[in-house]
Amino acid sequence: MNAPVQTAEARELALAGMGASRLRKEDARFIQGKGNYVDDIKMAGMLHMDIVRSPIAHGRIVKINKEAALAIPGVHAVLTADDLKPLKLHWMPTLAGDVAAVLADQKVHFQMQEVAIVIADDRYIAADAVEAVEVEYEELPVVLDPYAALQPDAPVIRDDLAGKTEGAHGKRDHHNHIFTWDAGDKSAADAAFDKAEVTVSQHMYYPRVHPCPLETCGCVASFDPIKGELTTFITSQAPHVVRTVVSMLSGIPESKVRIVSPDIGGGFGNKVGIYPGYVCAIVSSIVLGRPVKWVEDRIENISSTAFARDYHMDGELAATADGKITGLRVNVVADHGAFDACADPTKFPAGMFHIVSGSYDIPAAHASVKGVYTNKAPGGVAYRCSFRVTEAVYLIERMVDVLAQKLGMDKAEIRAKNFVKKEQFPYTSAFGFEYDSGDYQTALDKVLEAVDYKGLRAEQAAKRADPNSPTLMGIGLVTFTEVVGAGPSKMCDILGVGMFDSCEIRIHPTGSAIARMGTITQGQGHQTTYAQIIATELGIPSEVIQVEEGDTSTAPYGLGTYGSRSTPVAGAAIALAARKIHAKARKIAAHMLEVNENDLDWEVDRFKVKGDDSKFKTMAEVAWQAYHQPPDGLEPGLEAVHYYDPPNFTFPFGIYLCVVDIDRATGETKVRRFYALDDCGTRINPMIIDGQIHGGLTEGFAVAMGQQMPFDAQGNLLGNTLMDYFLPTFVETPHWETDHTVTPSPHHPLGAKGVAESPHVGSIPTFTSAVVDAFSHLGVTHLDMPHNAFRTWKALREHGAAL
Amino acid sequence: MEVKLDKQYPLDVDATRAWALLTDLKAVAGCMPGAEITEQLSETSYKGGVKVKVGPAVAQFGGTVDVIEAVAAERKMVLRGKGADKGGSSASMDLTAIITADPSNPAHCVLNGQAAVIVNGKFAQFGGRMMVQVSDMLLAQFVENFRQTALTLPAPEGVGAATSSAAAPTGESATATAAPVVAREINGLAIFWALLKSWFGGLFGKRA
Repeated sequence: MNAPVQTAEARELALAGMGASRLRKEDARFIQGKGNYVDDIKMAGMLHMDIVRSPIAHGRIVKINKEAALAIPGVHAVLTADDLKPLKLHWMPTLAGDVAAVLADQKVHFQMQEVAIVIADDRYIAADAVEAVEVEYEELPVVLDPYAALQPDAPVIRDDLAGKTEGAHGKRDHHNHIFTWDAGDKSAADAAFDKAEVTVSQHMYYPRVHPCPLETCGCVASFDPIKGELTTFITSQAPHVVRTVVSMLSGIPESKVRIVSPDIGGGFGNKVGIYPGYVCAIVSSIVLGRPVKWVEDRIENISSTAFARDYHMDGELAATADGKITGLRVNVVADHGAFDACADPTKFPAGMFHIVSGSYDIPAAHASVKGVYTNKAPGGVAYRCSFRVTEAVYLIERMVDVLAQKLGMDKAEIRAKNFVKKEQFPYTSAFGFEYDSGDYQTALDKVLEAVDYKGLRAEQAAKRADPNSPTLMGIGLVTFTEVVGAGPSKMCDILGVGMFDSCEIRIHPTGSAIARMGTITQGQGHQTTYAQIIATELGIPSEVIQVEEGDTSTAPYGLGTYGSRSTPVAGAAIALAARKIHAKARKIAAHMLEVNENDLDWEVDRFKVKGDDSKFKTMAEVAWQAYHQPPDGLEPGLEAVHYYDPPNFTFPFGIYLCVVDIDRATGETKVRRFYALDDCGTRINPMIIDGQIHGGLTEGFAVAMGQQMPFDAQGNLLGNTLMDYFLPTFVETPHWETDHTVTPSPHHPLGAKGVAESPHVGSIPTFTSAVVDAFSHLGVTHLDMPHNAFRTWKALREHGAAL
Repeated sequence: MEVKLDKQYPLDVDATRAWALLTDLKAVAGCMPGAEITEQLSETSYKGGVKVKVGPAVAQFGGTVDVIEAVAAERKMVLRGKGADKGGSSASMDLTAIITADPSNPAHCVLNGQAAVIVNGKFAQFGGRMMVQVSDMLLAQFVENFRQTALTLPAPEGVGAATSSAAAPTGESATATAAPVVAREINGLAIFWALLKSWFGGLFGKRA
């Protein structure tokens, strides 16, 4: 025992626990190209699958001729819907209570829909064989606009739903209608509008975009016909749910299905759903008794796997003449594509859209969302957001700007006037959410001071006064609140499974540890941050804590990683599992030190006898004792499992400010400054938080300034390559300034709220707010995204501001 | 993706010969770079294909062409073509072609073409932004081939200085005696070069 005596502070620092900017454990392998992604997996005897896809958006399949493809040497099988029919796998259930075609059954509903699959010796033969499959189509009229889809004489998209007047979310009143979902109190909202001194309304379109993760979707399915076991490596944000679904679809007992999410190259919601490609690869492996790999290419990823947004929104605010908001009404027509495959908690077909009252104390509010089928790919996933929160925040933040403009009030002033006040928390919104904590005013003041808001407004006024100014200057401000951490199982489930999450921790005899989780990292840095939580809770250095996720055979059941739920839900599970271990360790330490449990104090990494610093046992010593000679009446070992069912969501918030300069000659928008203040409650790893915020802001920039999925009149998607689809690189990305306040969540064991999606959710309306602000003196109240140079240039010309 | 074309090409060919050629679908197809008629299905229906080669990529559209209307009095022909390529593209075209005589010069005429072309699948997705330019190039090549082929036909009486011994062709293929004039495939490099030239021309204001 000749180790130098270290102070508690020094020992705490050495743990690299919560609050430390610990370097990411994952990066060592990633920057060396040694990650293990699905496409890195090679198995003996592995075959390759490729997919025949529809060139048209709507049509009947007249016939499919496989002969030429089957004649190609190296082709093992060509399967169509008719081949899957005997297995009842030609259609599959979606997470939203609808069904989706696995392979097109008599009809194609969108361009690039899966029509047939080819299994071959290698990827190249498979691709050649795909071209050799001859499919004859009879074209049908295409419906792309959801409003047109709801016309009485609109073409029927879903023949399979003929006569079904009841959907998963209530009545269907038209053949292309999916659901109508209402939240809030309509009569109260209508009454507020009847009495209002001022009202404003604005239509806005939140374009269809795609999460476009760097790694596309894919899987390697391997069925062992001898053991009857199925192993599938898959790009999934929710491997345990996939296991349940695969078991239900295939009839293989869940105990014989192993789903592994290895390293995942970004998910952003795109990897939550179950795609036809996965199902086909699994079926092929079962049929052929050999491993089958399917990895989609970029065009397939953008064209056919889950898109996001595509909300046509009408917002209305009622207010007093001095700017106090008294009512909110929202009507949305949501384009869900050909199948309703949104990934939302079962009860919420529009996700958490009812967070649409935002950070504001609005006494009466109502929102209605109508889901519609069109001849586009299915999806509607939460692209770096918690189930439609992005759309909701966009709407309310735009509406508050519109109201400010009508009243001639400043954007900051009107927000401050309507904020839910610090002392009102916990605050129940008109939509029924109970906001856990917040301090919006302090955060707003901090941002306005940091950027010298008054100075910026003065500069803008001077620029506006100068007719020769080469630029228009705009200032965007957004003060958003998110709802994340889905969620309490009394409200949230997916396919009937409650949205809890889980953690299992084992402390080894020598004091190192392993934690297994129901979540799965896709770049969030779980292996780094989760270890930090355990380090602080149990006094074990984070360096010796392994975190494992993604293998359903070893990890406890969890609902996965999306909707910023890892820290709010799984993070709490870690803390509580650790606290179970801590309680047992205290008993062991008391036994070792021959004192009563109550006579012990916990300090960083050890139990100390009260009043005697020399008598202590470290967690490592306790661990040895637990395996060596546990006290009478205690089981050996030192481990715990915790399934955490959150009592409520968490409500992170942020204040974002953006300054843009728009070139009056070219329409190009330069982001001069972007200041992002986030409050995610307790901060676990500030460096990773900064990285997450940078990433989210960059994706927000992408959506606001360039991303779109345009369709021509025939339903051809004209933006499905990275030549067309905007993914900003280091070159285009502006400089980000970050800041924070800390308002812990009172109901979360760590006070943490989740952060990775806030910058995406918050930044998108900030860019629009800034661009519109540059035009606001010309009477412009709203401009739809994307704010690319061409569209902005057109707006400049339309409003007489072009040079 | 739909492209609408409305073009007028003045030709140094008399209207009679131009119309004679236009009514011979097999011969007309021969003028279209990369196109051919492989089979006559009925009086007004044909089977054929178009092959487009751009660099290493070859798109081969196979399909049918139907004569919807042929009005000799107006020298008007209405065609509908439909086809698909195995690589995941399909296309259709409605074409109205009218030959109008040049009142000031009986040896000349104007070929008027109005077409609505709809392309689906990969061709529309990748080629969308080039469609109009590529169509322009294809048509320019087609018209040149058409002109040359028409000139090889026997001239009708009283037109120009050409011999006028032969009667206007009837049932026989008008090009039975005419040698195919041009390349049978669309040459990607040539298209690219022509596009580049026209783009530069446009830059310097030389474009017609």
